[in-house]
Amino acid sequence: MDKLSEEKLFKALMIASLAVVVGSLFVVVAVIVWNGAPALSLSMITQTPKGGYYLGKEGGILNAIVGSLYLAFGSLILALMISLPAALSLQKDYIGKTKAAYYIRLSLDVLWGTPSIVYGAFGFIIMLYLGMRASLLGGIIVLTILQLPIMIRSMEEVIKMVPADLKEASYTLGATRFETTALVVVKQALPGIVTGVILSFGRGIGDAASILFTAGYTDSLPRSLFDPVASLPLAIFFQLGTPFPEVQARAYASALVLLIIVLALSIASRALSKRFMKNIIR
Amino acid sequence: MSHITIQNLSAFYGDHHALRDITVEIPEKLITAIIGPSGCGKSTLLKCFNRLIDLTDGARVSGKIIVGNMDVLNGGTDVTDVRRRMGLLPQKPNPLPMSIYDNVAYGPRLHGVKEKKKLDEIVEKYLKIGGLWDEVRDRLKSPASKLSIGQQQRLCLARGLAVEPEIILCDEPTSALDPVSSQHIEQQLLKLKNDYTIVIVTHNIHQAMRLADYVIHLYLGELVEHGPANEVLENPKEERTRAYINGTFLADVKADQEINLKGNMCPYNFVYAKQALHALEKGKILKLIVDDPTAVTEVPRGMEAGGHEVVSVRQQNKTDWEIIIRKKS
Ligand SMILES: Nc1ncnc2c1ncn2[C@@H]1O[C@H](COP(=O)(O)OP(=O)(O)OP(=O)(O)O)[C@@H](O)[C@H]1O
Ligand SMILES: [Mg+2]
Repeated sequence: MDKLSEEKLFKALMIASLAVVVGSLFVVVAVIVWNGAPALSLSMITQTPKGGYYLGKEGGILNAIVGSLYLAFGSLILALMISLPAALSLQKDYIGKTKAAYYIRLSLDVLWGTPSIVYGAFGFIIMLYLGMRASLLGGIIVLTILQLPIMIRSMEEVIKMVPADLKEASYTLGATRFETTALVVVKQALPGIVTGVILSFGRGIGDAASILFTAGYTDSLPRSLFDPVASLPLAIFFQLGTPFPEVQARAYASALVLLIIVLALSIASRALSKRFMKNIIR
Repeated sequence: MSHITIQNLSAFYGDHHALRDITVEIPEKLITAIIGPSGCGKSTLLKCFNRLIDLTDGARVSGKIIVGNMDVLNGGTDVTDVRRRMGLLPQKPNPLPMSIYDNVAYGPRLHGVKEKKKLDEIVEKYLKIGGLWDEVRDRLKSPASKLSIGQQQRLCLARGLAVEPEIILCDEPTSALDPVSSQHIEQQLLKLKNDYTIVIVTHNIHQAMRLADYVIHLYLGELVEHGPANEVLENPKEERTRAYINGTFLADVKADQEINLKGNMCPYNFVYAKQALHALEKGKILKLIVDDPTAVTEVPRGMEAGGHEVVSVRQQNKTDWEIIIRKKS
């Protein structure tokens, strides 16, 4: 094959794979908007379900929206507090080259691929053992564990990319390892850290199986950490499972709400991190 | 007066012996140039001074380095203390991912200066000394990475000085710069030598002549010669120093014969080189290309022992070395 047709073939491959990506995303979004937008109303996002909501009577999914936000942000903050130090300590300046680090990475990779229902079942057993019932706190903890491997591994990958001479510059000015990590490495790796956070936020807010038993479900707004809490993925699941078309349409509307939340967060966090990113060394 | 005293310093990367038993003193408030062919351990020596070599996996150092009353290599010495007494100007400028202002303020902030007014003064003072103030005074808050390479290097100089070190270490500080920026850096260094002890690694003999008061010649990890610049550069005592200086002057020596000994192990490459030299007339020049690290050291040594002149030894790329020998006997 000559160079020119090689070039053409490669270009065709790239276009085809882009088409698959954009196309499937488009179809998913289109189906959700097509089915959900007509059912989306103000009352849907401002009210909790009234009696008979799941039969097609009035009410909304405010309980699930608020519940999901609590679950997602609660677990996001908790996971971030654990993941950032963990990812930073996997640098070669700290434990990165040790045998322990190797096994930590290995177990994180295995955890990453573990189905979320396993996390849910695991959490449920622990909670039974402790005598806890399904609650916001239980859901947050299980979601945190679910997000840890994604966050730590994706952050570690970008932290590893921080050029060695930046760290050297900091060390030669008399900085300690901690100062170098906190003031230089985190700054330089920030865009990648933000990406890791968005990735795991997406997984956290979208996951149903892990919170099915651990967070439970309720039609009222969450009042405390120890009460069960509703969530959007489960709301979608329950509504889609009813035999009534108008309730199924509401399931799509709920999915649309979920989509908008994820989109809003990624746009907002990218805009925010842009302001801090202008100093990054390329 | 000597400022840095080096005694029996050896450095290893794994089992590669990068510095061999170096003993030398570096004079205070003068510019000392370290010269020598690529791979001879110049950067390694600087990294021992500020213990940056601690960050290299598998590197070991033995011997003593004394700065003032501080025992640099002693495990009990606070390494951040060592480093703040020595600024480093790297080969390739490495601004930190922050604004111009924050780059200069980075060191002082680490070491406890918090007051905004004080920091402003420090930043202005050292940017002026670095010769960058006039160009950046209106955009101190803009990212350092937006500066040109030459400006970045002057920023690195200012940033290093802001920590108030006694010693400035420079590792080929101008090799990545254009001629004008290089000249700029050289002028700053000449001004700074009144207040600082400066050690500069350079490949450029002309630069050493322009700047240095004292010269140290390293060759394959060994200290070959050291002394006042005019003596070492103009009238070296050692044959190897002369060879190095000549070699860098004669950018391309015309070889009468060239043989490629890549892929050959010691002692075969030495034997082949000897045979090739044997066939030449006296005074002719033989050029060898080798890629065996042992040959790089041993072939020139053997040739010198055999009475021939080693004109130059230069690294051509990552693996290959060029050895030029003039037949003497
Ligand atoms: N991190 C490392 N690991 C292993 N070997 C190394 C390492 N750094 C340097 N060396 C080796 O140690 C020797 C001295 O290296 P050094 O960088 O000090 O040379 P140099 O004189 O500064 O060369 P140059 O002029 O090319 O910068 C070389 O043979 C080099 O290959
Ligand atoms: Mg070097």
